[in-house]
Amino acid sequence: MNYLDCFRALAARRTDEIVITSAGNSSQAWWALTRDSEASFYLDASMSLSSMFASGLALAQPELKVWAFMGDGAFCMNPGMLMVEREMNLPNLVHFLVSNRVYGATSNAALPNFETNDYAAMARAMGLERVFEFRSIEALERDFAQLSAANAPGHTFVVLEVEPFSAAEQKMEQPPFDGPELKFRFGRHIEARTKCTIFGYRL
Amino acid sequence: MHDTSSSNVARDIAQELAGCGVKLVASLPDNWLIDLITTIAEDTRFVHVRVNREESAIGLCSGAYMGALGSAALMGASGFMTVVYAITKINYTYEIPLFLVLTLRGAVGDHHKHHVSNGLYLRAVLEAINMPYLIIESAKDIPAISRCFHHTRIYTRPMAVLLTRDLLAGRAS
Repeated sequence: MNYLDCFRALAARRTDEIVITSAGNSSQAWWALTRDSEASFYLDASMSLSSMFASGLALAQPELKVWAFMGDGAFCMNPGMLMVEREMNLPNLVHFLVSNRVYGATSNAALPNFETNDYAAMARAMGLERVFEFRSIEALERDFAQLSAANAPGHTFVVLEVEPFSAAEQKMEQPPFDGPELKFRFGRHIEARTKCTIFGYRL
Repeated sequence: MHDTSSSNVARDIAQELAGCGVKLVASLPDNWLIDLITTIAEDTRFVHVRVNREESAIGLCSGAYMGALGSAALMGASGFMTVVYAITKINYTYEIPLFLVLTLRGAVGDHHKHHVSNGLYLRAVLEAINMPYLIIESAKDIPAISRCFHHTRIYTRPMAVLLTRDLLAGRAS
């Protein structure tokens, strides 16, 4: 399935979910399709930690629904994250593994063992129960309601098998935020949504 | 007069963490931290998350901050040496506070030769990335933990406290 078409389908079905993207292509794609500068945190500056970052947020604010995007290049750096996610088992977290079988942000360099890695099987082997795998837009659109079902027990892991970015897509704009600007935009949004106080402190 | 048995030191550190608003504790063990981790895991004031890679603790605690949840990452000195990438990328790029509780491995009294590298490089690495730290070597200094935690909120970057072997073993009043 085409990477951008997949993200377009997800963006169209998003309601009030908070989104955490990862380094590289997922940030570019989400920014290109949504121009969201408030309810999305583009965690460009780190590989393999977007789902952990999202887990911390989902734990802190259980009434928020949180989506975490992560490429398989990042995932393969730390697949043990799934053991932690399984133990936390947060019902308000959906971890989307965007599998294009390459290091997308690094000129589509190949991943080790890319032809045979079975990410859904890895997740099931670690005890995850809500595991989905999509290889077409039609299947994603048909079954989206299941993966976003309210009050589903435990967290959800979704493998999206997509094609790597084309040379032209690689040139799409990166989210144009300096780090602190992004932190404050996003944090103020979370504060407004939840009435929590992130940035205040008492002497 | 401080009661300095190992379990009481662990209890006092846990009390200090809870008192300054830490709710989430993410940890990967170091033998010196076992009493503290066990104490925290059994304390209902905390949500304790066991991680299998120290970087995961950095991600968890950083995300928790963006949800207004106080947190601390507990790990050994060796573990810290693996997280420089995550800290400089996440906590420095976005200026997200992070509170780290580390062991001062490789210092005088650590009889493990495999921690000599931490004695040589732990503090040098902290200083190289401009991360403030405070060595807690006496039970009477445990209240400094709160001040260090609050400093991360003002400084909007990471800070670490380094716990000594004698402190954690209950031999430093």
